[in-house]
Amino acid sequence: MAQANVATEREAFVQHHFVNAEQQFDTAKLGMWIFLVTEILFFGGLFCSYVVFRTWYPHTFMEASSHLDKLLGGADTVDLICSSVTMALAIHYIQKGNERMTMIMLGITFLFGAAFIGSHAYEWLDEMSHGIYPGKAYAFKGISGSHAYVFFSLYYLMTGLHGIHVLIGMGLMAWLMVKTKRGRFSAKYYTPIEITGLYWHFVDLIWIFLLPLLYLVD
Amino acid sequence: MSEQHHHIVPIKMILTVGAILVFLTILTVFIGYLHLPNPYNVIAGIGIAVIKASLVVMFFMNLYWERRRFNIMVFLAGIVFLTVFVGITLLDTLHRAHITPGF
Amino acid sequence: MESKETTNTTKIKVRHFPLDENPPHHYANWQKGIKSWLTTKDHKRIGIMYLATITLVFLFAGTMAILIRLSLWNPANHIVAAKTYNILFTLHGTMMIFLFLVPGVPTTLGNFFIPMMIGAKDVAFPRLNLASYYIYLTGAIFTVWAIIHGGVDTGWTFYTPYSIQSTTHVLPMTIGIFIIGFSSILTGLNFIVTLHKLRAPGMSWGKLPLFCWGIYATSIIQVLATPVLAITLSLLIMERVLHVGIFNPALGGDPILYQHFFWFYSHPAVYIMIVPGFGIISELIGTFSKKRVFGYWFIAISSLAISFLGFLVWGHHMFVSGQSALASTVFSLITFLIGIPTGIKIFNWLATMYKGSIWLTTPMLYALSFIFLFTIGGITGIMLGALSVDVQLHATYYVVAHFHYVMFGGMLIAFIGGLHYWWPKMTGKMYSETMGKISWFFIFVGFNVTFFPQFILGAKGMPRRYYNYLPQFETLHRTSTVGSWILATGFLIMAGYLIYSLAKGEKAPSNPWGARTLEWMTASPPIHSNFNYIPVVTHEPYDFHRPVSEFQLGLVGSEENGHDGGNGATSPDGGTPVVADESQS
Repeated sequence: MAQANVATEREAFVQHHFVNAEQQFDTAKLGMWIFLVTEILFFGGLFCSYVVFRTWYPHTFMEASSHLDKLLGGADTVDLICSSVTMALAIHYIQKGNERMTMIMLGITFLFGAAFIGSHAYEWLDEMSHGIYPGKAYAFKGISGSHAYVFFSLYYLMTGLHGIHVLIGMGLMAWLMVKTKRGRFSAKYYTPIEITGLYWHFVDLIWIFLLPLLYLVD
Repeated sequence: MSEQHHHIVPIKMILTVGAILVFLTILTVFIGYLHLPNPYNVIAGIGIAVIKASLVVMFFMNLYWERRRFNIMVFLAGIVFLTVFVGITLLDTLHRAHITPGF
Repeated sequence: MESKETTNTTKIKVRHFPLDENPPHHYANWQKGIKSWLTTKDHKRIGIMYLATITLVFLFAGTMAILIRLSLWNPANHIVAAKTYNILFTLHGTMMIFLFLVPGVPTTLGNFFIPMMIGAKDVAFPRLNLASYYIYLTGAIFTVWAIIHGGVDTGWTFYTPYSIQSTTHVLPMTIGIFIIGFSSILTGLNFIVTLHKLRAPGMSWGKLPLFCWGIYATSIIQVLATPVLAITLSLLIMERVLHVGIFNPALGGDPILYQHFFWFYSHPAVYIMIVPGFGIISELIGTFSKKRVFGYWFIAISSLAISFLGFLVWGHHMFVSGQSALASTVFSLITFLIGIPTGIKIFNWLATMYKGSIWLTTPMLYALSFIFLFTIGGITGIMLGALSVDVQLHATYYVVAHFHYVMFGGMLIAFIGGLHYWWPKMTGKMYSETMGKISWFFIFVGFNVTFFPQFILGAKGMPRRYYNYLPQFETLHRTSTVGSWILATGFLIMAGYLIYSLAKGEKAPSNPWGARTLEWMTASPPIHSNFNYIPVVTHEPYDFHRPVSEFQLGLVGSEENGHDGGNGATSPDGGTPVVADESQS
């Protein structure tokens, strides 16, 4: 047990209002968990809209969902899962002090994110070419239910909001890679990577629920 | 100086969990193609999603090894309040006396 | 100090640190220049910046109120046009709620005092704290832009479908509030983490001042409810821009769904507004009765209970909206339950004062006013929560009177009380007690003259948000308007003597009120790092029978820069310091 009242070397990365690195790390983690809870409630509004309208128009939702490509949705999910794997590996490597592998893993995570965005851009453009737009601009005639545009509006809103979060995550990856390159992280201090990891896994989590709700309704 | 006793997840475990998640994804998409009747399609879809989510939360987000119980409570609180939000709203929307034909 | 011989305790050495009443520099002058303020990470400076900003907001929104009451002087209003009247009450409500009351106490008194009360040097995330301020400012600028370009006329509730169709500047206003919501979330997040992680040795949960419990309960609500406001406003924006058809009945959407989303935030929001006030009142009643606050744990836990229950009652704003009868019944029942934890607090405060040594200072006058006014507000809230009664009273002046009694008579009164209580600590100056009491008198009388007639107006059927009215309501409306002038006078007097005190006030000692919480154990104003040692807490915050010196204990060897030293005994993992009852978590 550390002796009380013995002045010890204060490490450079520990901010002045913290007693030691452990307290700072724990604090950052708690902060990120609370932030993720706010994100749960934020997406929650969209989930609630979805549930309400789905209970009102179940058949329209089923029919509309069948126009989405399940395989593409599944591929997107696999993509994000792989990105979570590489993110977890990035944390593993920095905990071992292997900065090079950390950089590589962060980079691959970034690429998986980019692939996800690319896939979505393709999907959205494809739908729009069929006249499936959000809201009033909806012009697709292929669904018999009268409220199909509600499904697609929710689809655009939910995947759009999720996509924004993926883009933010990619920005964070890039920032982490720059800092890793500059040698700012080590086995003793990797807090930003840890909490970005939590954020990134959460983004994966949201998509895990979006898949059955949007693509697998029928 | 106090040591940081952070749990390091072994690479093998990360990859195994990842593989399970991919398998479950394939499974859920496959079930989607089966066109199960309501409500089984919902139960299957959401059920598998919950299992996948639990794996991500426990093993990638490290809640399985989390020493600070409060972090776990924080996450569960988020789920609870989301359930309250959706659940009580449904208490209204599912029990409307009469849905106006114009809607 | 003796140690308990368990494996989880550490012996620490503690001594008394005599207080330096006149340190050479304090938090406001150790660094000079506007840049040092704008880039500060010091929670105290951030608190002051927030205070200055929300004072300006209050002035503006208050002026709106004066104009509203003026325009209601005559039954057939010829003072403002109908649309202008709608803009006036929308701006008054929006600014008061989102820009003044919701940030209100947490960002000003909370920011300044929470770290000090727990013996910390700052909040958990100081840079995030500064970011919160700038985010608030950005949101405020958007709302100001909307105001300059003609304002909004939808009411602060932005109900659809009118808010979708209104030609006024709904978009910048809602974007502004969305941004301010982020500020609120980050503030709440910061406080929760601060209270969990940065408490001084010995500061167990049971020794936290009740103001901290109040801010803690508030922060939980802020974190859980505000995101739903964010998504609601986002969906409203999407509705206006893309016509997504979720809330718009013309497009097959459901306007009642909007109300569910809106009130899921806005009802807990009223608890965000009042619960810090409860915390302040606990401090004031304790200090000015020179007595332990009665039922500490009852008050602490009841704050949490209110936070939780507050999430289950939002539909009581929607009884007549078309919501299902089942939902309405459930909401009404739970609304009655919320009265219980609130009532517990009121009785605990009364019990605190019983046989206490009452010192009738300005803050105490405000605390007593709070108990009286908030009780009226709270009970009328229960009346509105009765489903059948609400059918008659919904959207009448009864509701307006109710919420002004709780928000103004409750929250604002508590805020003013707290401001006066902590004024010597924040500014190092004493304000004039005589002027404080005179101003209090104007505000108390003015408030009741303004708002009590509104209960009667509402019960007699006067609807809210109407710019003109039937002649039989003239006397009551005019009384209310005269009351608003008395109120305004009170506030002007207050502004006068507070500003005067900054220039010419008597220098404040460290502990003018004889309190026992940690923030009074430093100089007035405090030094930049709050304490220049690590405080160690051995007593409860309201142990008035113990001498002040027993609250000025600190860790031996922690002098000079407070927490620099990194000793294991203060780390959460370093085990329990011997003086505490339970380990920090």
